[in-house]
Amino acid sequence: MSATDIKGPGYRVWYDEAASTVHFEGSLRLGTAEYEPIAALLESVRTRPAKAITLRMTDLVFLNSSGINTLYKFVIGVRKSGALEVHVDASATIPWQSKSLPNLRKFLPSITITMN
Amino acid sequence: MNESIGDFRELGGGGARVSLVFYPGDFPVRWSQCSATADFFAEYFAAVHACRTADEGARNDFVGTISYIVNELVENAVKFSVGETVEVTVGIEDEELVTIVANHVLAATVGPLLDKFRELVSGDPQEMLFARVEANAENPEDGASGLGFLTMMADYGAKLGWRFAAVHDNPNNVLLKTMARLQVRNQ
Repeated sequence: MSATDIKGPGYRVWYDEAASTVHFEGSLRLGTAEYEPIAALLESVRTRPAKAITLRMTDLVFLNSSGINTLYKFVIGVRKSGALEVHVDASATIPWQSKSLPNLRKFLPSITITMN
Repeated sequence: MNESIGDFRELGGGGARVSLVFYPGDFPVRWSQCSATADFFAEYFAAVHACRTADEGARNDFVGTISYIVNELVENAVKFSVGETVEVTVGIEDEELVTIVANHVLAATVGPLLDKFRELVSGDPQEMLFARVEANAENPEDGASGLGFLTMMADYGAKLGWRFAAVHDNPNNVLLKTMARLQVRNQ
């Protein structure tokens, strides 16, 4: 059973089961291995009975390339299992999101992204 | 040895620049300090005349972009550096913001690094990024190898280059300089 609330210096990633939403908050610039608990959380969400989930990114100011890889890997897993609708709430005023999040559509064509 | 790959170019003498040198000694640079370094350069250059803008959105974009790129380059230096100094220089030249990170790597790793860097500049960054991510998802042991460079090129339009130079007093080490260049919006 993986943790559903992961906190570290300057960041928090947590799953709100009632709202079927994973919240990403703060600044995530971890080493590759340090993303494992977050990858495990996402993986556990992927295998739950929920039909749809939201990834809420609007409070995530920074994400380094190891974190971007973790996110892309998750949506590739969703594409391969084909059982989950994924929605991303993003912010156009956070540069990494407007630059790197549109790539998610390449890895999971069914994904929906709101960029406010 | 003296070998360059990609768009590598040293900053010309006399150009405006800021350098930060880490002499780690007994306190190796910690991962979280990469982020602090990146944020320093981003905020500093956002106030430099050539980069300054009254438009809050453009400033935001500038700070986020420089911070992402410097953070990726410093993370790499910290990951692969072999205990010597790490030097981060950011300057402005020909309407480009140029970041150069210099660190020592083991001479034995130069061959594989040369191959990797040549491959990174051999094709379309976007296509290579997509292929790299799919390959990473298939082989988790591969880690995120090269993805930082690919995102800089594909998502941020950065031009990258590398130079390897001999270290005269230590044949076991080679000096690696990694450069990223970005167009500065002319206000």
